[in-house]
Amino acid sequence: MRKGLRFNKGAEETVRELLRSLLESARVSGVLTLGRTGGADGGVAYSLFTDPDAFGTDGVALPLLPFMPANAGGLLSRLTLKRPLSEPIAAVVRPCELRAFIELVKLNQGSLDNILLISSTCGGVYPLDVGANGSLQERLPQYWEAVEQGELDDDVRSTCRACGSFVPENADITIALLGETDLEAQCTLYLNTEKGATFVDGLEGAEETPMPGDLETELIQRVYSQRAACQDALFAEVDVGLKGLIDTFGRCISCQACKTVCPICYCRLCYFDSQDCERPLEFYQGELKRKGGLRVPSDTVFFQLGRLAHMSASCVGCGMCTDVCPADIPVSTIFSKVGASVQALFDYQPGRDVEEEPPLRTFEAEELAQVVM
Amino acid sequence: MSDTDTAKCKGNRQAQTVGSGTALPAEDGVEAALVGWLKQTLDKRVFDAVLVPVEVPAGDSFAYLLLRDPAILDNASPLPPVMPIQGGKVISRLTMRGNGNQQPEAARIAAVVRPCEARAAVELAKLQQAHLDNLYLITIDCPGVLPLSDYIEDPAAGAARFAQAAAQRDRSPMRPTCQMCNHFSMLPAPISDLHVATLCSDGTLSIVPGSPEGARVLEEMDMPVETSLDGWAAQVEAMEQAQTERRQQAHAELRQTVAGADRLLDVFSSCINCHNCQRVCPICYCRQCYFESDALKLPPENYMARAERKGALRFSPDTLLFHIGRALHMILSCVSCGACEDACPMDIPVGQVFSLLADRAQETLGYVAGERLDEALPLVTYEMEELGHVEQPYVAIYREQEVQDA
Amino acid sequence: MSEERSFEPKIIYFMCSWCGSGGSETAAAHHLQYPENVIPSRVNCTGALPAVHIVRPLIEGADGVVISGCHPGDCHYNDGNFRARRRVALVKSLLDTLGLESERVWFRYVAHGEGRRFVDTAAEFNDHIKKLGPNPLKTRSDT
Repeated sequence: MRKGLRFNKGAEETVRELLRSLLESARVSGVLTLGRTGGADGGVAYSLFTDPDAFGTDGVALPLLPFMPANAGGLLSRLTLKRPLSEPIAAVVRPCELRAFIELVKLNQGSLDNILLISSTCGGVYPLDVGANGSLQERLPQYWEAVEQGELDDDVRSTCRACGSFVPENADITIALLGETDLEAQCTLYLNTEKGATFVDGLEGAEETPMPGDLETELIQRVYSQRAACQDALFAEVDVGLKGLIDTFGRCISCQACKTVCPICYCRLCYFDSQDCERPLEFYQGELKRKGGLRVPSDTVFFQLGRLAHMSASCVGCGMCTDVCPADIPVSTIFSKVGASVQALFDYQPGRDVEEEPPLRTFEAEELAQVVM
Repeated sequence: MSDTDTAKCKGNRQAQTVGSGTALPAEDGVEAALVGWLKQTLDKRVFDAVLVPVEVPAGDSFAYLLLRDPAILDNASPLPPVMPIQGGKVISRLTMRGNGNQQPEAARIAAVVRPCEARAAVELAKLQQAHLDNLYLITIDCPGVLPLSDYIEDPAAGAARFAQAAAQRDRSPMRPTCQMCNHFSMLPAPISDLHVATLCSDGTLSIVPGSPEGARVLEEMDMPVETSLDGWAAQVEAMEQAQTERRQQAHAELRQTVAGADRLLDVFSSCINCHNCQRVCPICYCRQCYFESDALKLPPENYMARAERKGALRFSPDTLLFHIGRALHMILSCVSCGACEDACPMDIPVGQVFSLLADRAQETLGYVAGERLDEALPLVTYEMEELGHVEQPYVAIYREQEVQDA
Repeated sequence: MSEERSFEPKIIYFMCSWCGSGGSETAAAHHLQYPENVIPSRVNCTGALPAVHIVRPLIEGADGVVISGCHPGDCHYNDGNFRARRRVALVKSLLDTLGLESERVWFRYVAHGEGRRFVDTAAEFNDHIKKLGPNPLKTRSDT
């Protein structure tokens, strides 16, 4: 039975205070969340905080900032790659980041032990260039206004606008944000698990409230349909046929930044960086004979197709790849579109359930008849 | 470095005056003239293939193509408005696995590149990541390149802006590193086999041989090397002088904004560790970068202890270490092309910072990246007596200071 | 003054396995002592010490780094110390340009039998760092 806590202070204050008292009471040894870096006009990055003062009113922590400098699922994987955490931490992550982490745990790239997972009903994040050009702060009022209405600001990532997985499924604690009126004066936290409840047991200032069984209000149901419509429109913008891919990736510079920031792409040495893909001069000479010309370096579209084959089943549609592309290619739209059809084929949803096997690691005796000639 | 590579030592370092070149008619502009000339070289089998930027199918960018079909050359752009992939990296990808078996299809390849791309190729050859035996480097006087995202936003407008700026010798719309570039031609000494001199004061176009191999190419093309280039050389020298002053000024100003822990961390505060800068850098060739290797992937206790010690730990960690470490690894070969800054999604002036670090470090070790193929890399060699300022002198026996009680 | 006394620098002393460590052993044989906050770290040859590892301690919490190896001509591997000198020059140039106090890195040759020189280097550098104060990068969590 899901419990809830209602606080009579604004959402930002509530979350900051929660995290501060978790640290002060030593219930956790660290908190992974967003914070200011550099000076007053500096940037924003995820940090592993151990000092409770970071969460004071003048502290640097910014847990609810609508910005994603890195997919935190990948960061949690990095943190727990060698072995599970031996002391508890809290991590404030978005639903797609949480799903990415669960995928990575399934792929043996991390561990869920000792992590208190805090997420929220998500109103999206702004693209990286908004952080780069310094206009993030001034957009916040309109952002929160939209969120209270259950809507997304026009300028958030396009993949956010098309995201149907904005209600986190595996969080210990969910902060209700989307569609919640008056976030400046009150805030509700859903305690989804025993772990969540235990960690916040006895915290000051909260009124325990019996909550309806579901996080999903009528408004949330409406948001699902709005997002689905957005997704259809977004996917229609990209042509993933061969000609479409060649045209779109014509300006790809093979930097593979999309792969580097992707939380799912975890290989230490990517196939496409290995010797297998270092072509000898004979290869180019052979292609010259056949075609009269060949792009150097080669394998531009091949890399994209390969990466799609390797990871689209686990793609959580976070949008980091589009943000980081120096050639402004809508990578995430393409990968989400292909990902959606692959996931539908296997009836698989990345990050839904940590016990659920990734589609290529399991099989049924009778299935996929349409594939066999 | 193979014997052939050493033998192809580029450059006639003695002469400051470049001598003569061969005139090329250019009624329809530089690009048309060059494309026409390249077609003739393919026709006459002087070159077997050409490596040159070509417009991509969607018309919104350019990519290097290795080609021998003259029809494809019609879409070639030897001096495009942008540099999506650094030509040095392209040459490395083409030749990193060796010289090929000298198949007739590509016994002689002409690579049309900008000066910084040629210099990067020279550095990569020294680093065993490129083999220049089959290659004839052809460079061009370079007006700079536009930042890639500026161009992609509106390619037609970008092309127009570039053409106008190039004609007026105005570098203001170009990459910041291009704006302060003083290596945009072939002086003081050529590093390529042939150089296309476009900065002639009378608006003509000339091809200048930079090596015996280059001279042989012009001979085979029946192009007499008779046009005096003194006018061009004077023009280029004057521009280089102005650009050198501009560079020094820019570096001095930049240093003010980046020196000291506070300012440095401010500049890199928005870094998201995407490593784009390292990926697009022509010099960074490691299959697995040290900063992505297991050496820096540590158990959680390490991260927690560091977070404990400092009150917090930026995650993913080692942002500053990555930039300083990458600088230590590559600035001695840095050619200040600015590909890194173009690729940065957070608009960090990394190209400018690295170009400043590179100039200072290369000066300290008496080396200029990419100038001579036969000059050893600075960390591979040494002198018996040098760099005395680095050693801490030991003058006399030191007695530990006695600390007065307060 | 009392601030200076309460600040105990964290110093890493890289020494090569031949002369550098030899110097420390000779010092021990002569019952010479050096400050306890100077942490020795042995590398096979100063030429094998990557530039990155000179800078990494300065980012993570050290206040100073000293590197000692054989005198020119005495390197067990012939020319490791010459390469080390170039590498240190590179590191200092970079730290200098970035205003990160290149004087927090010292490079001094110490021979196998130079016990006095070894402890003097440690003591001298320790006092030098005490005067410089704590490394400003040490407390930055946004590195």
